Amino acid sequence: MQNADDNENDDNTLGAMLAARGIGRRSLLKFAIAMASSLALPPGVAPLMAANLAKAKRRSVIWLSFQECTGCTETLLRSSSPTIEQLIFDFISLDYQETLMAAAGAAAEKTLRDAIAANKGEYLLAIDGSIPTKDSGVYSLTGGRSNLDMLKEIAADAKAILAIGTCAAYGGIPKAFPNPTGAVGVEDLVSNKPIINIPGCPPVPEVLSGVLAYFISFGKLPDLDERKRPLAYFGATIHDQCYRRAFYDQGKFAHSFDDEGARQGWCLFELGCKGPTTHNACASLKWNNGTSFPIQSGHGCIGCSEPDFWDAGSFYTSLAGGSATGWRNAGVAAAVGIAAGAAAALAARNKSRPDPEDKP
Amino acid sequence: MNIVPIPPATGAIHPNEEQVALAMRGFLADIGPSSALALDSCIHCGRCAEACQFYVQTGDPRYTPIHKIAPFKQAYEREMGPFAFVYKLFGLTPKVSAGELMQWQELLYDSCNMCGRCSLICPMGIDIADLVEQARHGMYVGGMTPPDFLGVLAEKEKATGSPFGMTTQQLQDALHDIGAKYDVVMHVDEAEAEIVPTISSIDLKTYPSSMAAIAKILNHMGASWSFRTDGFDADNVALTAGDREGQRKITLSIVEAAIACGAKTLVMPECGHSFTEMRWEAANAYGRDLPFRIVQITELLAEGLADGKIRVNKAPQNATYHDACQLSRRGGATAAPRVILQSLGVELHEMEDAGDSNWCCGGGGGVALIKRAQPLRDKAFAIKKRQVEATGADKVFTSCSGCRQTLDHGGKATGWNKEVASLLELVADNLRD
Amino acid sequence: MTLLDFARGPAFQASVLILIAGSAWRVVAMVLLRRKPQFAAPRHGLPARVGGGAATILSRFAPRRAFWPRIAVSVVLSATFHIGLAIIIFGGAPHILLIRQLTGLTWPSLPKGVIVIVSGVTLASMIALLIRRLNHPVLRLLSTADDYLSWLLVFLPVLTGILLSGETIGGYATLLALHILSVELMMIWLPFGKLMHAGLVFAGRGLMGMNFSRKGAAT
Repeated sequence: MQNADDNENDDNTLGAMLAARGIGRRSLLKFAIAMASSLALPPGVAPLMAANLAKAKRRSVIWLSFQECTGCTETLLRSSSPTIEQLIFDFISLDYQETLMAAAGAAAEKTLRDAIAANKGEYLLAIDGSIPTKDSGVYSLTGGRSNLDMLKEIAADAKAILAIGTCAAYGGIPKAFPNPTGAVGVEDLVSNKPIINIPGCPPVPEVLSGVLAYFISFGKLPDLDERKRPLAYFGATIHDQCYRRAFYDQGKFAHSFDDEGARQGWCLFELGCKGPTTHNACASLKWNNGTSFPIQSGHGCIGCSEPDFWDAGSFYTSLAGGSATGWRNAGVAAAVGIAAGAAAALAARNKSRPDPEDKP
Repeated sequence: MNIVPIPPATGAIHPNEEQVALAMRGFLADIGPSSALALDSCIHCGRCAEACQFYVQTGDPRYTPIHKIAPFKQAYEREMGPFAFVYKLFGLTPKVSAGELMQWQELLYDSCNMCGRCSLICPMGIDIADLVEQARHGMYVGGMTPPDFLGVLAEKEKATGSPFGMTTQQLQDALHDIGAKYDVVMHVDEAEAEIVPTISSIDLKTYPSSMAAIAKILNHMGASWSFRTDGFDADNVALTAGDREGQRKITLSIVEAAIACGAKTLVMPECGHSFTEMRWEAANAYGRDLPFRIVQITELLAEGLADGKIRVNKAPQNATYHDACQLSRRGGATAAPRVILQSLGVELHEMEDAGDSNWCCGGGGGVALIKRAQPLRDKAFAIKKRQVEATGADKVFTSCSGCRQTLDHGGKATGWNKEVASLLELVADNLRD
Repeated sequence: MTLLDFARGPAFQASVLILIAGSAWRVVAMVLLRRKPQFAAPRHGLPARVGGGAATILSRFAPRRAFWPRIAVSVVLSATFHIGLAIIIFGGAPHILLIRQLTGLTWPSLPKGVIVIVSGVTLASMIALLIRRLNHPVLRLLSTADDYLSWLLVFLPVLTGILLSGETIGGYATLLALHILSVELMMIWLPFGKLMHAGLVFAGRGLMGMNFSRKGAAT
């Protein structure tokens, strides 16, 4: 466990910055307790987190947007009211972010080069959007340079990479069949740097702030699962934490939208909910500061934080069903079988004589 | 395809390649959709064994009925089954071997009465008894029929129409002798007759009284009837041997004899397989509908008792009744014998499992002809003995001379004190004018 | 593509098509063989014979009194297994859902707890049947690789189904994928082995019933 480099009295620390805005130690401790709980850390860690946060220096974050819809940026970096989470973002030195920064064109490119040079080996690289690989990555260019080349170059000097959103993590919607741009996720292209995937379409905002808080406090990434997702937020499935779980266990299912069961708030398994196979924190943290999440609004989970969720068949086909093969194919199969059977029977017919008097 | 059977082996059996090949062709000759379904359906549940007297009495799993037809099934799978070319190509089913056929001779002949209990128990509806009959066809053309079975009996039968090698003259004389001995008017080889009763060679040899009995009853009924020496040998040994052509020849000779005298009714004697053969296969051998109906003697008697053409005195006694497999379970004539017994006032003590599920006497299907099968047959007979003794009756009636003979021999060998009697003779002995 | 996507997608389609093609092949190859004409005068007319065939399909579910003592164990174990499997398949909510997706038909499901208990009983009966098959001299003589493979291909779906509905061992997505794949393996093997008895049983019993009704003999 690393402590921050400078002592508490340094003005450049998070503690000093918060004190300057009238947010004292107690508030920071309360924040640390909330964060520790959200990260599923033991409560005794909170004072340590608070102390570390107070001493922590501004961490440079370079945010590259590749083949994306900007939904992740919108969700995570805009907020309706400032909260301490927002102050975290104020504390990280978001040195490059195309949607939020004022600079454009050549000035923006200079900003990027300078930020990389100044923080070599120390900056966090945040990526949203997938990376097209087909045709030398010509399908997504920034300033005439392919995102593919940019990633290779800029990842080389990063301390760690945050792949934000399902596109950056696993390829997302651009990767859906037939994947015309050859879109892939960051982990398919970078193998020599620590990567953390924060999937979701978009991801839950509190997940990013929790990961950043952990990184700032302890200088490393939190525990990850085999898909490189933080276990604290992606260890359980929607199904495991869903408030409608009791109805699932009782076998009370809505059969169609707005039927009696749907109005009673019954389980949406039959309507295609992918909660059982989807790892995310939506069912516990919810969205818009804990207001609601898709199931609560009456629509099944579409599994947006899982790889290839778009290619997994209809959102409205339940997990118990599959993609049907169609009557035409079934007819063809039957015809093939009948033909094979007829051939076998014809070959066999010559060998039997129902009547002993039959001559060939 | 003309399958020419190899002359039967006598003595030790070591089939050569040619015999094996012929056996295979013989196996396949019979297979149509229902045989294919039967061969394809077995799920290896093992229940057929529990219905078979040979397995039940010995505990030897080789006597499991469906196992008895294993080479037959093997031939089918390899040559005519839906996936035959796959099985052959990848060697999944080996060729039927000479050794196999050697081993299976006992299973297909010595230890199977073709009684059909296995067919009745099978949850998949496989007529295993019928498969055994079909399998015997292949064994026959391969020369694999047991020597004492075929060698002595069928050959003579084929040559002269009788397993005892009687000529027409000898047969006519024999019938007239019976008529004289029992003081009964015999009609033999009449040009016209409405009813033609057929003759079983067991009756000719062992129970001539039953031939007299038929004559007596038909006279009592005032019927126009005649034995035909050009169509007899109802017990069709070729059938149980597996000789399709011989079987057909005998069957057709009976059909043609009946047609020749314009018969309206063909009466099968007290014999099991002859009934199932004539009643259910003769028309198929003939290739079209028959111009006469076929009944078993008990059916004729029951009819006559019901409509008053046969009048009897009561003959009260206590007795039990042994159902011949081919008449009741396989043939559909279960009720008639009981009608007869009731009409005669017999106090019937039904044995356990009487009727369609009854146990075979152990001698059916030609097993009685195989000397070396005696010990096995005795074991099967022990069930029948137990059944009979449990009824407490003094007498066992039956309506099949094959069963009658088996019950007689078995009874003597095991020393029981029951009387074995023919239902036909019971009626004949108690006619009232 | 995850294992689950594969199981619900291409594997599902392939296994259904193989099931259809294989079954058609096997049935047609038998039906088109040369048949013997029937000229013997039947004891009963066609309606009675068809009725006899239908009656035999039902009657062979319960053995005759004379046979019962010797086959009671086999019948009870087999009935437990088959009835249990039927309750699971036709009473379990996710299965009804699959049928609804494929055919539009639907009906109320049984409570999950009932299905779990029945699944346990079914598994137990299957194990008992396997032990019996491995020990009984007749069954040892008759049994082939197909018997054991078919047992396994039915056992795995029931086992993975219980584990899936319990949701205590293994991840949901993995268990669901394994469950679906195990059913697909069974479907692929079905037309080629003894599992085909699921369809053949009706044909065999029906034809025997019709044939013996024709003779007025025991069905």
